[in-house]
Amino acid sequence: MRISLNEIKKYVSIPDAVSDQELITLIGSRLVEVEEVIDLSPKYRDIIIVKVVTAEKIPDTHLTLCQVDAGGKRSDLAGEDGLIQVVCGAPNVRAGMLAVWLAPGVIVPQTYGNENFKLGTRKLQGYESNGMLAAVDELDLGTDHAGIAEIDPKTAQPGSDFAEVFGLNDTILDVENKSLTHRPDCFGLIGFAREVSGILGQAFTEPELIDPADYQITSAQIQIDPELCPRYSCAVFDLPKNEPSRYLTADAVFLAKAGMRSIDPMVDLTNILMLRTGQPLHAFDYDKFLTVGGTSELNIIVRAAKEGETLQLLDGKVIECTPDDILITSHDVPVALAGAMGGKNTEIDASTTRVVLESATFSLYNLRKTQMAHGIFSEAITRFTKGQPAAMTMPVLLEAIKLLGVAPTLIADAYPGGESKNVVKITTSAINSLLGTNYDTEKITQTLTNVGFSVAQKPLKAHKGKSGVIASFGLKIASRASGEPTEGNTEVELIITVPAWRTDVHIPEDIIEEVGRLLGYDNIPLELPCGPFTGTEIAPMLQLKAELRNILSNRLAMNELLTYSFVSRNLLEKVGQDVSESYEIVNSISPELQCFRQQITPSLLDKVRENIKSGHKKFTLYEINQVTSRQAGLDADGVPVMSTNLGIVCLGDFYELKADLFAALERGLKVDIEYAQIAPGSEAAKRYPYLEPVRSAELFVGTTRIGAFGEVKDSVKRKFKLETPIAAAEIELDRVLEQEKTLTVDIQLSKFPAVERDLTLKTAADMPFGRVNETIRSVLQGEQLIYSVKPVSIYQQPDADTKNLSFHLKFASPNGTLDSTQITTIIDKLTVATAQIGAMIV
Amino acid sequence: MSELEKLKAELKKINAEYAKIKDLPPEQRGEFGREMNSKKQAILSAITKAEEALESENVAPLDISAPAAPNQPIPTIPTGSEHPLMTELARVIQIYSDMGFNVIEPQQLDDEFHMFDSLNFSKGHPARDGYDTFRTSEGFIPPAHTSTMQHRALKKYQSDLETTGQIAVVVPGRVFRNEDVDATHEHTFYQCEGVYVSKTATMGQMFGVLKRFFELYYGQKLKIKTQPGYFPFTEPSAELLIEKPASLGGKGGDWLEMLGCGMIHPNVLKMAGIDPAVYHGFAWGGGIDRLVMLKYNLTDVRYFESGKLDFLEEF
Repeated sequence: MRISLNEIKKYVSIPDAVSDQELITLIGSRLVEVEEVIDLSPKYRDIIIVKVVTAEKIPDTHLTLCQVDAGGKRSDLAGEDGLIQVVCGAPNVRAGMLAVWLAPGVIVPQTYGNENFKLGTRKLQGYESNGMLAAVDELDLGTDHAGIAEIDPKTAQPGSDFAEVFGLNDTILDVENKSLTHRPDCFGLIGFAREVSGILGQAFTEPELIDPADYQITSAQIQIDPELCPRYSCAVFDLPKNEPSRYLTADAVFLAKAGMRSIDPMVDLTNILMLRTGQPLHAFDYDKFLTVGGTSELNIIVRAAKEGETLQLLDGKVIECTPDDILITSHDVPVALAGAMGGKNTEIDASTTRVVLESATFSLYNLRKTQMAHGIFSEAITRFTKGQPAAMTMPVLLEAIKLLGVAPTLIADAYPGGESKNVVKITTSAINSLLGTNYDTEKITQTLTNVGFSVAQKPLKAHKGKSGVIASFGLKIASRASGEPTEGNTEVELIITVPAWRTDVHIPEDIIEEVGRLLGYDNIPLELPCGPFTGTEIAPMLQLKAELRNILSNRLAMNELLTYSFVSRNLLEKVGQDVSESYEIVNSISPELQCFRQQITPSLLDKVRENIKSGHKKFTLYEINQVTSRQAGLDADGVPVMSTNLGIVCLGDFYELKADLFAALERGLKVDIEYAQIAPGSEAAKRYPYLEPVRSAELFVGTTRIGAFGEVKDSVKRKFKLETPIAAAEIELDRVLEQEKTLTVDIQLSKFPAVERDLTLKTAADMPFGRVNETIRSVLQGEQLIYSVKPVSIYQQPDADTKNLSFHLKFASPNGTLDSTQITTIIDKLTVATAQIGAMIV
Repeated sequence: MSELEKLKAELKKINAEYAKIKDLPPEQRGEFGREMNSKKQAILSAITKAEEALESENVAPLDISAPAAPNQPIPTIPTGSEHPLMTELARVIQIYSDMGFNVIEPQQLDDEFHMFDSLNFSKGHPARDGYDTFRTSEGFIPPAHTSTMQHRALKKYQSDLETTGQIAVVVPGRVFRNEDVDATHEHTFYQCEGVYVSKTATMGQMFGVLKRFFELYYGQKLKIKTQPGYFPFTEPSAELLIEKPASLGGKGGDWLEMLGCGMIHPNVLKMAGIDPAVYHGFAWGGGIDRLVMLKYNLTDVRYFESGKLDFLEEF
C-alpha cells in the first residue's frame, strides 16, 4: 500500500523537531514495515507550468509550433519576445491554455528510475523544439496519452512550479500490507494518520462525521443475512451532470500517488473516499437495477450464492459462483459479487441518470474465499478482507453524498446488529508485567486516548505481598522478580472502550500491544530470563544425525546433499516405487514436485548424472531427511508417521559401499550390523525396487531391519542415463536409534603380547566368505582370546571352482603370554573347525 | 680454510697432544687429562654447532608453491562436504542449547490443526493465505513455519513448569511455501522456532534472549531494533532486526530483518493446557537459509537444494 506523507500531514501536525526521515523511522518501528521510501521531488524537479501563447499548425504534419510563456523561467531558451519555442504533436494544444512543460535537461517522469530519458533541444521537421509539452502518461500520473495535460488557470499561472501546485514534492511510503492484516482502519489515510499521531504522542483530531440524524433513513428496502453482511447502507440519487474535467485535477494526482488511475468523477470519488476512510463504495445504475430485478422499487437482497449460479462481472467475465460467494441481488437477481466486483447488468454508462451507491461490510471469511475462487485482488476486496467496521458504512456514504452535492431520493440502512460497546479491562501492572516495562497509569491512558480509545480508571484495593490474580480478567498482577506491584500500593484498573474502527481489539493482550507498540518496543529495557541450571535435552535423532554427518562427511569423505521433499511421479516410477503410496500435493508448483517422497535414495540418484556431467568422477552423495508413505500410517496426532532416513548413493560397487557402511555404522556408531541376502521377488526386493536383489543385502541389528543397500539395477540406471556401477543404501535411522540405545560396546586390550598369523584357506568357489569368517571367529571366541580377524584377500582364478581366502589373525590371552604349545593348539582347532565346513588351511 | 676445517684441525692437534700424557709424571697425568678432555669437549661441541649450521646447505630445497615434487604423483586427499545449511543449523542449535533451550524437530507433513488452529488462526481467516501452504489430497500440510511445533512443544515440556518453572524449547526444521523459486525465494527452506514460558516472561526478556543469541552467533556486541508485526499466535507481535555485524561487512546503520517474534497469544497457551492467567510466554521464528547466505555472501538461494557438487564441495 502506498501512503503519501503529504496526505498524512493534512491530518496530523508533525512537530518541527521531527524530520521526515525520523518520522519514517518511527512509522517503521511502531506502525508498519516500510518496504520502500519513494521521494517524488527529484522525479518532478524543474517542471514548469507554461501558457501556450501561440500555436500554429506545421503544414503537412500533425505537429504544432508553439510559443510558450514560462513566466520568466528558463529565459536562456526564450526568444526576443520572451517566449520559448516548443513543437507539440498533441491534437488538443491551442493558444491560451496552460500546459506542463518539460524543459531541456528535465527527465521525463514516466521514465524516471528506468531509462531516465532526459530532454534536449532538437529539431522536428526543421523546427527547433525546446523540450516538450507533457501528456498525463508522460507525467506518470495516469494512462491518458490522447493529448497534453491541461492545467486549470484557477490553480496556476505561467512559471508555477508543477510539483508545488500538485503536491508532488512528496514522499510516498510503500508499506507491507501483511503486518496490517488485522488493522482495517490503517487501510485508510485517516486511520493511518491516527496511528502516526499516536506514535508521536499527540492526540488525534478526528475528522468530523456527518450526523445521520439530519437525514431520513429507512431500512425497508434491504434484506441482509447479518452473518454474511453485517451492515448494508445505500443511497439513491440523480447522477450529477459533472462532465469529466478537461484539466489535470488534484484528485487525479491524489489517485496516481496511491497507485490508482482516474476514471470518471463518480468512480474517482468512491475511490478517493476508500483511500481516505478504508471503506469501499460501489455505484450501480439505478434504473438498470430496477429493470434487472423486475421491480419498480428498490429491493436489495444480500445472500449467499447458490451453487452454479452465474454472473457476468464488469470486466466481462462470467463467473460461476460457489455457495461461499455473497451476492448483491435486485429482487433476488444477482447484480454484484459482494466486495469483489459489480455486475455488467447494472454498470454505469453514458445513459445512466440515477445511481444506487452502496456502502456495506461483508464477512471477511467469505470474501477471502471469493478472492481465492475468482482470483480478484482489487483495492476494495483487499480492504474488505481485513474486516471493515460496520460503524463506518453510513458516515462514509453521507460523506460521499455531501461531496457529490446531490440530494438523495432515498437513503437506506440495514444494520440488524447495531452498535455495541466493546470494553476491555486491564490493570497498569498487567500491562507492565507482560512488556517488562514500568509505564505509569497516566502515560498508558494518554497513549490510548491519543488514538481514540476512551479510558476510565478505577482504583482497586491494594495488593500486597505475593502476586495474585485479578478475577475480572485473570492476568497476573505485577511481576518483575519480586512479584510486587510496580508502582505504589494502589492497583488501577483501566476500563477501556474500544473505538468502533478497531475491530481487532478484544482482549487485554490487544491493549498491551497498543501500549507497547505506540510507546515503542525499542524502549523496553532488555533483560534475560533466569531459570535453574537443569541442563537441556537435544532430541536423540538430532544428535544421531550430527554424529552421522561428522562420520560420513569428515571421516568417509562423502558429500552431504539436501534435495526437495517433493518428487515427481516420474521419479517414483523410474525407481519402481508405487506412486499411490506417496502423499500427493494437490497444489504443487509443478509436476516435478507433486509427491512426498517415500525414500531418500531416488532423489540422490536423480542428482548423479548432472554431477558426472560437470566433471566429478568419483563421489558418494548422502542425505538425511524425513520420508513417509501412506502405509506408514498416522501417529497419535492423526498426522503421517514420518521416518528419518539416511540415503547414500556412491559411484562404486556393492563392496565399496559395504566398506563405507561398515565404517559408518559399526566403527562409527558402534552398531552391530548383520547382512541378509535379498531374494528376488521377496518383500525386501519390493521395498527397494531399484536395487538388484542378487547384488544387495538387507541390514539388520539383531532382529530389527534397519534398511538395505546394494547395486542399482541396470534397468533403473538406464532410466537415469547412468552407466557406471552405482551402489545405494537406504537406512531408517529411527530403527538405528532404537538399537543404539541398547548397545553395549566391549573393547578389551590385552597387556600380554599378541600373536599374529596369516591364514589362507582353500574353499569351494560358492563358499560364503562370512561362513569361514564366522567359523574362525567362533574358535577364537571359544578360546576366550582377545582377537581380531581381518580379511586380506579373496583370490579366485577365472572359471576355477575353488578360491583362496586369506585372513590376518591377531590374538592374545587376557591371562598371560601364549606359549608355542598353546598357539599350536589354537591353530589346530582352527584347522579342524574350518575343515568341517570345507575350508582347508593351505 | 673454513671454520669447520679449522675446528677439525684443532681437534686433531688435541688428539695428538693426548699422547704426551705418558711422558708426564703420574701425579700430573690426572690434571693434564682433565684439561685436555675439557678442551676436546669444547671443540666437539663447536664442531656440532658448525655442522648443524651448515646442514641445510646440503639438502635440496623444494618449490613450496608446487603441489608435488617433480616426477612424483600429486597427493589427493578425498574430501567430503557438509551441507552449509545443516552446519549452520547445528551451530544455531548449539547456541540455543547452551543458553538453556531443549531442542526438538518438526515433522515434514503436518495438519491444519498444528499449522493454523492451534495457533489461534480462526477458521477461514485471510491470515491463513499469507502462508501459501501446500496441501495433500488428504488435507495434510507440509508446515509453512516451524510454529507448527509450538503446541506440541508446550505440551511436551509442560511438566517442566512444575519442576523448573519454565518451558524453553527451540525447533529447527524444514518448512515449505508455495512460492515460485528465484534467486531469493525457495519453496523449501529452514527455520528455527523458539518458545519460552514462565510466570514472569516479558517482552523485554524476549528481546534480551534474541539479542544475546545473535551476539553469540556473530561473536560481537550487536544493536537490535524492532518493527511491528502481525501473527495471530502472538500478541503483541514484532519483527526483530539486528545491525549488520562487522563480520558481514556491516559499517553501522544497515539493518537486517532476522525474525518474527511476540508474546504467545493466551489462546495458544490455553489450547496447550497452560493457564494464561498464571503463565506468560514468548516465541519467535527465523530463517536459517538467510544466515548462511549472509555468511558466505551467496546471492542465489537455489544452490542449497540443487545437489550440485560444484557448490557443495566449497563447504
